[in-house]
Amino acid sequence: MAEYLAEVTNNCVSPEDAKEELLNECESVWKHMEECQSKLLLLGTETVLESDVKLSLLTMRVKALTAEYHQWQKRSPELISTNPDVLLELGKEELQKVKNDLEMVLSTIQSKNKQLEEDLKREQQWHKEQEQILDTLTGIEEETKIEVQQLPNTRAFQELQNKMSKLRMYKEELLDALGEFLEEHFPLPERGRSAIKKNSSEEPAVELITLNEILEILIAKLMSTPHEPYVTIDDSFWPPYIELLLRYGIALRHPEDPNRMRLEAFHM
Amino acid sequence: MLREKKSFKISILKNVEASLAHVDANFFLGKVCFLVTGVGRVNYCSVEMNAIWKLGEVYCSPVLFCELELEGIRNATAQRLLRMLQICAGHIPGVSALSFGTLMRNSADD
Repeated sequence: MAEYLAEVTNNCVSPEDAKEELLNECESVWKHMEECQSKLLLLGTETVLESDVKLSLLTMRVKALTAEYHQWQKRSPELISTNPDVLLELGKEELQKVKNDLEMVLSTIQSKNKQLEEDLKREQQWHKEQEQILDTLTGIEEETKIEVQQLPNTRAFQELQNKMSKLRMYKEELLDALGEFLEEHFPLPERGRSAIKKNSSEEPAVELITLNEILEILIAKLMSTPHEPYVTIDDSFWPPYIELLLRYGIALRHPEDPNRMRLEAFHM
Repeated sequence: MLREKKSFKISILKNVEASLAHVDANFFLGKVCFLVTGVGRVNYCSVEMNAIWKLGEVYCSPVLFCELELEGIRNATAQRLLRMLQICAGHIPGVSALSFGTLMRNSADD
């Protein structure tokens, strides 16, 4: 406070004069503003054309931006005032503003940092838990492996194995019987007319496969991929046999694609 | 005194589009901002997001989205609007409504 008073007494300009000066400046600026306002009012209003809104707006933007640009080019930095008191006060205000802004930035960044730290901790915790789960699961896996190795020694297992082998043999017998039956009653069409075939254009490019093989393909596809039991029909399937299977309900067509078919699921 | 800025609540798009035709063209140089509320509940939106975006495009004005029920977003949007109002009223030296509008547009397009 003492330094301020000393400065004041040393200058020729007193605080009242400074206030006078500022008030005069305000008055002149206000008058200038009033003139501009009246000019603006005279310009009147214009509305935008419906048809070409964007174009007209953009042209207006261009005009306004060039006008502003020229205005900026003309301007040169002007002194606010030569009065040291005024400058001092203004300086203090500016610095205060800057200080407030920086404090805001600081607090924002600090809270962000805290947030990130919390996130990091949470992620680390999760990671630790996941590792624990992994360890437990590997332990369980080990134990089950050991158990499995000991399994063959039990009697129940042996009995199951016997049953399995018996079933396998039965399955082989059934398949052989089926194969013989099919060969006898549903043979492939004979190629007796080879001389005539050379002249006709109806030469099958692919060798036909037996009904047995068709059925094998269908069964294999159904058993291996029950969710995708459809087999694409190609030229090696003799069409009459396909019709036979479809008509007797042994096979089904794909509902949308006529070139695919599947075995009926008799086992479900 | 001329009104510095208008904010539109787009509840019925046609009304807004009709009234936009009567606005003085000079406002669209950075003094108009579209404010869309009720963006949180997707099932109850009566206006297409595409239509809103196109509106902003055609009138070369920014679009702000706000959910009035949430206090945080409400406060943040209010602060943004206040800032824009300050600039449009000329209270921030060195930044005009037009230059600010151009700034916002360029950063939004990138």
